[in-house]
Amino acid sequence: MQTLVDHLSYREQSDAVRSRFEAMKQRPVVLSVRNLYKTFPTPGGSVTALKDVSFDVYRREFMCVIGPSGCGKSTLIRILAGLEDSSAGQVLLDGNPVSGPGPDRGMVFQSYTLFPWLTVKQNVMFGPRMAGQKGAAVEGEARQWIDLVGLSRFENSYPHQLSGGMKQRVAIARALANRPRILLMDEPFGALDAQTRCQMQSYLLQIWKNLDITILFITHDLDEAAYLSDRILVLKANPGEVNEIIEVPVPRPRTPAQFVSPEFIATKYRIDHLIHPETAAETDSIPFPRMTVAGDDVE
Amino acid sequence: MKSDLIREKPQREPWFAARRDLSPRRASLLTLLSFALPLLVWSAVSYLPFLWHPDMELQISADRENVTTVYVAGDRMSQDFFPEFQESVRQQNKALEAALASFDPAAEAPNGASVRRANKKILRHLAPLLISNGWITEKQAKDDAIIYDAWGRIATGAKLPTRPRLSDENLAIAAINWSAMSKVSPTYASDRFISVPLLSLVPQGRSANPDYLPAPHEVVITGIKDFTAPPEAERPSMWQRVGHSIRIVFGGFLLAALVGVPIGVLCGTYPVFSKLIEPFTDFFRYMPAPTFSTLLVAIFLANDAPKVALVFVGTIFQLILVVSNTTRRLEMPLLEAAQTLGAKQRQLLTHVVIPGILPNLYNDLRILLGWAWTWLVIAELVGVKSGLTEFIETQGRWRNFDSVYPVIILIGLIGFFTDQILSAFSRIFFPWTAEAGGKPNPIVRAILFIPRWFRDAAAERIPYRPETRTRQTGEA
Ligand SMILES: Nc1ncnc2c1ncn2[C@@H]1O[C@H](COP(=O)(O)OP(=O)(O)OP(=O)(O)O)[C@@H](O)[C@H]1O
Ligand SMILES: [Mg+2]
Repeated sequence: MQTLVDHLSYREQSDAVRSRFEAMKQRPVVLSVRNLYKTFPTPGGSVTALKDVSFDVYRREFMCVIGPSGCGKSTLIRILAGLEDSSAGQVLLDGNPVSGPGPDRGMVFQSYTLFPWLTVKQNVMFGPRMAGQKGAAVEGEARQWIDLVGLSRFENSYPHQLSGGMKQRVAIARALANRPRILLMDEPFGALDAQTRCQMQSYLLQIWKNLDITILFITHDLDEAAYLSDRILVLKANPGEVNEIIEVPVPRPRTPAQFVSPEFIATKYRIDHLIHPETAAETDSIPFPRMTVAGDDVE
Repeated sequence: MKSDLIREKPQREPWFAARRDLSPRRASLLTLLSFALPLLVWSAVSYLPFLWHPDMELQISADRENVTTVYVAGDRMSQDFFPEFQESVRQQNKALEAALASFDPAAEAPNGASVRRANKKILRHLAPLLISNGWITEKQAKDDAIIYDAWGRIATGAKLPTRPRLSDENLAIAAINWSAMSKVSPTYASDRFISVPLLSLVPQGRSANPDYLPAPHEVVITGIKDFTAPPEAERPSMWQRVGHSIRIVFGGFLLAALVGVPIGVLCGTYPVFSKLIEPFTDFFRYMPAPTFSTLLVAIFLANDAPKVALVFVGTIFQLILVVSNTTRRLEMPLLEAAQTLGAKQRQLLTHVVIPGILPNLYNDLRILLGWAWTWLVIAELVGVKSGLTEFIETQGRWRNFDSVYPVIILIGLIGFFTDQILSAFSRIFFPWTAEAGGKPNPIVRAILFIPRWFRDAAAERIPYRPETRTRQTGEA
C-alpha cells in the first residue's frame, strides 16, 4: 500500500473529476461557516471544542466531516442546526446568519429520534404539520417520501416495529419532507451493522443523486467518508480545528467496487494519516499478556 | 433429518433464570399460586388445631358468682385459663349440691326472687347449644318454656345434643338440676320456678384462634350477611358505604390530577416553573396530610368536602413531583429533532412533550391512585365518621372481626382490579409502546378479553384494516 500511495497521490484528479469540482465551485454557497469558536465552561476550566473553523458547502455538494473522537464534530453540527450557540463566529445559510433551529436545516441524529407515538407516515408528516399544512396533499406527499426510502409497506407501523436501518430511513424521509436547504447528518449509520450500513450508504447516494439536496455528513468511518463525499473536512482534536479539506478524486457514480480503486485507497490513506499520525508507534508499545492456560502454549 | 435432531433435544426450561420470561403456563400457575398460597396458609392456621389455636371458644355460656366478666357462647379465653375456669365452676357446684338434693319443693326459700333470677340465667345457658343443634331458632333463645322442656329431655336421656355433644359431667348436672326443677313443676311456669340455686353447667369449648383471626368460612358467611343486609334508618347498606368511599377516593384523586398534572408537566418542561414550584412542593409533601384534618374541617365544614380535600392534599404534592420527573425523563433528542423539524416552543409542548409522556403519565396516575386509597381511612375519620371506615371502626370496637375482614379485603380487591383494568387498557390506549406488544399477564388477559372480542367481531365485519396489515417487522 505504501508503494501504491507513493505512486498515486490523492491530489491527482482525472479530467472528469477535476471538471466536476470546477463546476461545483461555480455553484452558489449554501452553507458558509466563518471563524467558528465554541468553548464549554466546565468545573475544571473551559474546554475549547472548536477553534476558528471556516469552510463553505456548495449547492448540491455532499460533504463529510471526519476527525478523531471528541474533536467536536457533533458540536459543530449542533451549532449548524441551531441546537447550540457558538461562542464566536458566524454560520450563514444562503448568505443569511442562522439563529436557532429551523426547518430549513434538516437533521438526522445518530440516536433514533422518531416519535414513538406516531406511525411512520405521521412521523414524516410532522414537519409539514408544524408549518400548518393540512389535508390530503400533505399525506400524499408524505407517502412519496416514504416510497423514496422504500418503506411504503410500513407507513402505518409504529417505530418500535421497525429495525434500526428502517428507523434511520424514516428519519431521512422525515427530514426531507420539510424540503430543507441542507441535510445535516450526525453519524446516522453509526449504530447499524456493517451490512445494513453499506446498504444505507447506497440508498443515501441514490437519494442525493435524484434530489436537489446538499448534505453535510459526519462520520468516523474512513470508507464511509471516501465512498460518499465530494469533499472531506478533516478536523484535528483538542481543540477542533480544520486540518485539511480533501477533494475526493474517486469518480462518480460511485459503486462499492471502487473500494479497492487506487484513488479510493489513496484518499483513505491520506485521511488515516491525518487522523492517526502515530498509530504504528502506539501499537508497538502495548505489552500483550499471553492468554494461555498452563501447558497449552503452542509456540 | 436435521429438524428431527433439533426436535429431539429436550426442552429444558429453568425455573430460575435471571430476567428470563417464564412460559405463559408457568406464569399463569404462579399468578394463581400467589393468591392461593396466602389463602392456604390462612385456612391451615384456622382449621388445623395443632398449628396455633391458642384460645378456647366457649360453646356453653358460663358465668361464676362474684366475677364480673360474663362469658357467653362464642367468647374466647386462653387455653391456659380455661381449665382454671372450669374448676372454679365445679367448686361452686359442689357447694350447692347438698342443698339442691335435700330441698323441700313446697317451701319458699328466704331470698327466692333473686335466686330465681339467677336460676333463669342458668336455664338459658343451654340455649346456644340448642341453637347449634338446631333444636330451637335464634329467636327462641329467650323462650324459657321451650328451653325448660329441653332440659327435661336431655336429663331423662329422651334426646341428646350431638353438635356439640354435652360432656358426661354436664349430663349429670342436667340430671341433678332437672330432678330438682321437675319436683317444683314438670313444665315451665314463671311463678312456679325453683328458688334454690341450681348447678351451673361446666364450660365446654373447642380450641380456636383469637377472635382477631376468624376462619375463612366465618369471614365469607359474615361478609355475605353484611353485604346483603338492607339499609336501615341512619345505617346505610354496605354497598352504599362502598360507593361513598369510592366517591371520596376518586373525587380527591381526580381533583388532584386535574390540578397537579398540568403543573407537573409545566415543571418538567420549563425550568422556570420547576424552580418556582418544586422546592416548595417538595417541602410541603413532608407535612403529613392528616395533620391538616382539623384545619380542613374548619375550612370546608361538614360532609364530604373535608374528606375529599384530605385525599387531595395527601396526593397532589406527590403527584406534581412524580409527573414533573416523568416529563423530564422524555428524551431530549426528541425535542431537538422536533425543533429541527420546525416545531415552535408551544408546539413542542403540545405535539412532543404531552404525547411523548402520556404512557408514563398514565402509569404514574395508576400508581398514585393506589396512593390515594391509602388516605381513605383517615379521610373518613375526618369530621363525621362515614363510609366503610365507620363500619370497620364500629365492628372492630365490638370485636366483630369477621365483619371487619370482608371490608378490608373488598377495599383491596377494588384497588387491585381498578389497577389491573387500567393496566389492561393502557395496551389499548398506547399501542405504540413496546409493552403493548409483549404478553400480558393472565389477569390482564382476562380483562382484555371483552374489549378484544368486540374489536375482533368488528374487524370481521370490516374486511380491510390497514393498521393490522402492517404489524410485521424486519427489513423490506
Ligand atoms: N455540553 C458539554 N459540556 C462540556 N463539554 C462538552 C459538552 N459537549 C461536548 N463537550 C466537549 O467538547 C468536545 C467535542 O465533543 P463532541 O461531542 O462534539 O465530539 P465528537 O467529535 O462528536 O466525538 P464523537 O466522535 O465521540 O462523537 C469533547 O471534548 C467534549 O468533552
Ligand atoms: Mg459525536
